Amino acid sequence: MPRSFLSYIAQRAVQCVLVILIGITITFFIPRLSPTDPVETAVNQAVMVGQFSHPDAVREMKEALIRLYGLDGTLLQQYVRFWKGLLAGDLGPSLSSFPKPVMTLIRGSLPWTAGLLLTTAVISWTLGNLLGSLAGYYKNQRWASIVGIIAMALHPIPYYIMAFVLVVLLAYVVPIFPIGGAIDIGLKPAFSIVYLSSLLRHAILPSLSLLLVGVGGWFLGMRTLVTNVIAEDYVTYAKYAGVRDRVIMYQYVMRNALLPQITGLAMQLGLIFNGALITEYVFSYPGLGYLAYNAIFAGDYSLIMGVAVFSIVGVSIAVLLIDLAYPLFDPRVKYQ
Amino acid sequence: MSWKRRLILFVVVMLFASMLGSYAWAAEPGATLDVAPGVPRHETLILENPEGRIADPGRFNRWAQGGGNSTGLQQLALDTLWYIDPDAGIDDPWNNSLAEAPPIYNEDYTQMTVKLRKGIYWSDGVEFTADDVIFTVETLMANPAMSFGAQFQLNVDRVYKTDDYTVVFDLKQPNSRFHAIFTVRWSACFIMPKHIWEKVDDPVAFDFNDPLVSLGPYVLKDYDPNGYWYLWERREDWHRTSLGMQYGMPQPKYALYIAPGPADKRVMAQANHDLDVIHDLTPEGMISLVNRNPLSKGWFDGFPWAHPDPTLPAVMLNNEKYPLNLPEVRWALTLAIDIVNVSMASYNGAATLSAIHVPPTGGYLEWYFDPMESWLQSFSIDVDGEPFYPYDDTVAFRVAETVRKQLGDQVPTDPEQLKKALGYGWWKYAPEVAEKLLLKNGFTRDRRGNWLLPNGEQWKISILCHGPTVPTMTRAATMIAEQWTKFGIETKAEPTDLLWTRLDYGDYDVCLAWCIETWGGHPDLFWFLESWHSDYYRPSGEQVVNKNPMRFKNEELDRIIEEIKGRDFDDPACVDLGIEYLKICVKEMPIIPLMAYNVFAVCDWYYWEGFPTADNPYTNPVANWANTKFMFPMIRPTGRK
Repeated sequence: MPRSFLSYIAQRAVQCVLVILIGITITFFIPRLSPTDPVETAVNQAVMVGQFSHPDAVREMKEALIRLYGLDGTLLQQYVRFWKGLLAGDLGPSLSSFPKPVMTLIRGSLPWTAGLLLTTAVISWTLGNLLGSLAGYYKNQRWASIVGIIAMALHPIPYYIMAFVLVVLLAYVVPIFPIGGAIDIGLKPAFSIVYLSSLLRHAILPSLSLLLVGVGGWFLGMRTLVTNVIAEDYVTYAKYAGVRDRVIMYQYVMRNALLPQITGLAMQLGLIFNGALITEYVFSYPGLGYLAYNAIFAGDYSLIMGVAVFSIVGVSIAVLLIDLAYPLFDPRVKYQ
Repeated sequence: MSWKRRLILFVVVMLFASMLGSYAWAAEPGATLDVAPGVPRHETLILENPEGRIADPGRFNRWAQGGGNSTGLQQLALDTLWYIDPDAGIDDPWNNSLAEAPPIYNEDYTQMTVKLRKGIYWSDGVEFTADDVIFTVETLMANPAMSFGAQFQLNVDRVYKTDDYTVVFDLKQPNSRFHAIFTVRWSACFIMPKHIWEKVDDPVAFDFNDPLVSLGPYVLKDYDPNGYWYLWERREDWHRTSLGMQYGMPQPKYALYIAPGPADKRVMAQANHDLDVIHDLTPEGMISLVNRNPLSKGWFDGFPWAHPDPTLPAVMLNNEKYPLNLPEVRWALTLAIDIVNVSMASYNGAATLSAIHVPPTGGYLEWYFDPMESWLQSFSIDVDGEPFYPYDDTVAFRVAETVRKQLGDQVPTDPEQLKKALGYGWWKYAPEVAEKLLLKNGFTRDRRGNWLLPNGEQWKISILCHGPTVPTMTRAATMIAEQWTKFGIETKAEPTDLLWTRLDYGDYDVCLAWCIETWGGHPDLFWFLESWHSDYYRPSGEQVVNKNPMRFKNEELDRIIEEIKGRDFDDPACVDLGIEYLKICVKEMPIIPLMAYNVFAVCDWYYWEGFPTADNPYTNPVANWANTKFMFPMIRPTGRK
């Protein structure tokens, strides 16, 4: 393996670790600067349950909660404690669902988010880029114009509206799909047709809503890129040289236009760990988005950190991998 | 065929199979729907859990953080000594639940004795006794981070039993309302099963899930590990619970609490008869639903539909801040509000208005509103030496008239019905009188007509309000801001997610929120009024206990609170003292009362009938209240399948 390659990898890996360190540090401090306080939230909830609480009782409860949540000590002491825990793989207990470990909560939601968003991200990227390439390359064809118009019409529709239109049309007016949820009530996980069919049926509307909006974006981006690439000299030369249209399209045009889209895909895959809040809300679908949303409102520092750590690490590693993989897509890119 | 093609074919076949399956299921005539395997739809009551998705669904420790409470847990599985229904109750608003009788206090209220019902059993067959009550109190006292722990520490000197069915609390100081800790309004301190919790090392960490032993008539059958639904099944021995013992068998064999998502989806779900009890909707959602499903019924049979909760949203004024510390300025702001427009903007007219400082709900119409009516008619404020009579008892009719243009015959015409549904009256819209009051206090107008403070600075007001989670309140705040701006005060509505924290610390001038909450079914006002005593006054910057965030102090009111505290909970003289409190508030106007917190709880009478309504007000239909357990023995199946 060439020395320059190893040096490049080492340099990028160090950069990646630094980005993760800085990102996590910023995420540690920002929620603590926000006025939302997990102890206040917990006390307010407890007071709402009962009658009027004497000020001394409220103070006593607050002090007990601060100790319990591990929020005593200076910010620096808390920061050191956090890193010790993180390096041992422990993100601590959630403050809004105390004392449930943050990792347990994330572990429960992550598979749903990953399953939905990974699949839809990859499918919409593939479909969008494929259709975008074809529409850009065969831009004078009638079908290309029609697909272009559909994509342009779909893409600007606010996601919330798109999701609702699908629910109204396909779960209420023509009730083909369930109105919400991830699985039929009472169905236990099993590798059976009944379970898998229920899983699929519930995933279709959320997936479709993400796909319709996602495909449009990739399509429009790719079509523009391809339109630019086909004007390049080497494409014109290939045409005159009698290279087959299909080869020009896939080997010359699409491959060259794809690079920015690959970066986009990497970023999107990394951001999967943030979840898809609106999808989860509209379709009552489990995932990380709702978990993070509630954590922010409850001032649950630990859970915010947990979701953020996954997101920061996910994006950083995805970008690192893409950087390393670039030469595979474009031989002109060198490790330097 | 390649494996890829086989995989694609498999997915496609599965999709079609599931689609066809749904069609076939829906289309098969006479088919019985199941909400879950082996759980027939017609035997199940489906209710909305307004908490949404529960982040930690397997946690049922109601005495500590985490988990949900409107999942059926506090409605169907937990129980405590007493309940006060916010409406009329099945036979009386006061219900002796686990207790056999009301609390027995000694003469100076330093001791409370509780007689417990005999023959109540936990769902695992262990008898409920005094030991459970004592254990609950002692466990919470030892853990002040748990709900009620610090309160017990402060109040309870000793708790002990004289026999298995008699518990005695020796209190550290006189407290005639100590029983309120064990009395459900919407929740309270529930009782723990000693035989389960005594084996637990850390009560805060304990999930109370393995097993969740129930004291109510249902047991947990299943729940969604993702936190969207909870399925409960009626106990075989339901007659050994306080509810079954008193009112017979709860009718639904199963109860399913679900988080159905946004309001539009709730409308769709009930229109499809997939959601029997909606917790709350927007006014527009309500109109849309009753137009789609004639079997969807609110509290009132027709406009305004909503159930008035015993909570009073109000324009909170920080009485510490100049010029809001001046009663005449507070009155000027009141008279610069056109309540008809506020009612239209916030609730589409479906608000139950209140001119006085208690919510117009439950028994309060009879206890407080009727007796106050003649006093309000004759009440006047001095405006430049002339009396001005601000009370307007025609608002309900004016609101009805406005709404009738939109909803036609759906709006009732009977004056008595309108008063009950839309409120007895409110304060006149009199900006010219408000102007005189401000001028009298040294305010002036600039060239553009905007009000200047006596020191020459422009008067600006920001009205804190809830964000989109409570849209009715946000809309009310926006309308009031518009009206005050029109009057010449530069006002804006400021939605915030930190509303309660800012109220607690006095970090506001004006806010649209609530601090007056009553029992509804009992006239005692001590529930919220205790913290209005000047002993509990905390200046802005310090955290106030959340029932006096307006920082109001009044010596006469202190006397009233002390007198109420010294009297028995059921002493009729407390109502007279309550009326004195109301008169002080009208004169001083520490906050501007607006309306009851109306909740569009909608019940679908398709599978079940006999839900509570204004005509049959045996309990509150709002699904997150623990009192909704009383609905279960009262509803009946319609026979539809």
